Amino acid sequence: MDSVLFENVSKSYHVSKGKYGLLTDALTNLLPKKSKSAYFENKVNALRNFSFSVKTGDSIGIIGRNGAGKSTILKLISKITYPDSGKVTTIGRIGAFIELGAGLHPELTGRENIYLYGAILGMRKKKIDEKFDAIVSFSEIKKFLDIPIKKYSSGMYSRLGFSVVAHCDPDILLVDEVLAVGDISFQRKCLKKMHSFAQEKTVIFVSHNMEAIKSICSKVIYLDNGKIKMIGSASEAVKRYLDAQ
Amino acid sequence: MNAKNWIIEFWHFRELLVALTLREIKIRYKQTLLGTAWAVLQPAALAVIFSIIFGHFLQIESPQTPYIVFYYSALVPWTFFSNSVTFGSLSVVNNSSLVTKVYFPREILPFASIGAAFFDFITSSLIFLMLMIFYKVNPSINVLYLFLIIPSIFIFAAGISLILSTINVMYRDIKFVVPLVLQVWLFATPIIYTIDRIPDSIRKFYVFNPLAPLINSFRQVTVLDKNPSIFELQLAILISIMTFLFGILFFKYKERVFADII
Repeated sequence: MDSVLFENVSKSYHVSKGKYGLLTDALTNLLPKKSKSAYFENKVNALRNFSFSVKTGDSIGIIGRNGAGKSTILKLISKITYPDSGKVTTIGRIGAFIELGAGLHPELTGRENIYLYGAILGMRKKKIDEKFDAIVSFSEIKKFLDIPIKKYSSGMYSRLGFSVVAHCDPDILLVDEVLAVGDISFQRKCLKKMHSFAQEKTVIFVSHNMEAIKSICSKVIYLDNGKIKMIGSASEAVKRYLDAQ
Repeated sequence: MNAKNWIIEFWHFRELLVALTLREIKIRYKQTLLGTAWAVLQPAALAVIFSIIFGHFLQIESPQTPYIVFYYSALVPWTFFSNSVTFGSLSVVNNSSLVTKVYFPREILPFASIGAAFFDFITSSLIFLMLMIFYKVNPSINVLYLFLIIPSIFIFAAGISLILSTINVMYRDIKFVVPLVLQVWLFATPIIYTIDRIPDSIRKFYVFNPLAPLINSFRQVTVLDKNPSIFELQLAILISIMTFLFGILFFKYKERVFADII
């Protein structure tokens, strides 16, 4: 069974041109479509006619240079953004480890943030109650649970973020370059957690850390300029990517 | 997306709405000296100023009640509306880090702002109640109309916030437009004056401002012991519902591109 299916997906972003861009955009939008000159079409293609599928239980890595479209794929899967054309289908609950701590609020305490971030990730309050102790002990911030997290160090901040995400228990896990958190011992812990996820869940992992990709993913997509350059085993794809640099 | 799916999805995310509303309430007065007292001070300060200027200096008589009660009774619902729209219209853009990183129905953001403004409304209403007891203002059975009036203001504020927060994603001009419009709106609503002071030639335009009958009725049923105009109230409720429906449709139509242009 496919957990994630992309069928001929294209996605482009509109880029406005500098000064008074918005006003000229707004005015040209009033013109009929045909009379718009190419000058006003400021589009950047992030994905072009992209098709792929992920089987339930697979761990897929996505590698490529900055701007290759890696994050766009994750955003399309998590329904944060929608394709211009083509179709994205997903089955199961999605958990996104995309930019940890996007939902954390500096003025709230660690405890309050666990509940807030949990709710943002779609966890029920009952579920958070159940997992609360596990989250706290994983994050190693027990001593600082009741102070506002603006007083936290950046390492503690990301540890809290990762710990909540790690306990939200999704069917499809999207990970975008978040393993570089905390000190080395915490990084090891994260990697271990990721491994155990990869055993039982569908994982889509975006990273520039080739070692982590090789250790977690069974299959890797090498993306170049919005197109698939190659799909293959982790070691082959990583080798091809590194050779191209 | 049809209405049924929308309701199912919204229901699914109800706990997030509660969590974000609590967040708004908690952080709004963080690192302020007076905390929640600001919820009361906003309408109270205006009520005092209006009493001095319009009551004592300009000698505009306030029917039956002390000036302070007269002005505060309209400023409590007005402040609720004004705060809802102020924070609601900025809510999506202020949470852009969430909008670009996590999926959830985006209308939760303006609703959370309005929920927090409603919390302030309850707080300032308690002071209003104490004021009424202190000045021995006894409301009649008409006070039950509040169960129609308050939800209507809520729905209307939600509709306006949904529309403005959507436009604000595309054009940040909204940030400057809202305070200006609210200032004009304050004077276009019978807060400083009663609705019967308006010349008939102008009064017919008041049908376009549902807040006029809503806030006027709020005052009438609480401190003036008057029957509200049922026709005007019905019209205001109808306009509020239509504004809300238009707001939610407009918001959902544009929601898909929020993350791309925010």
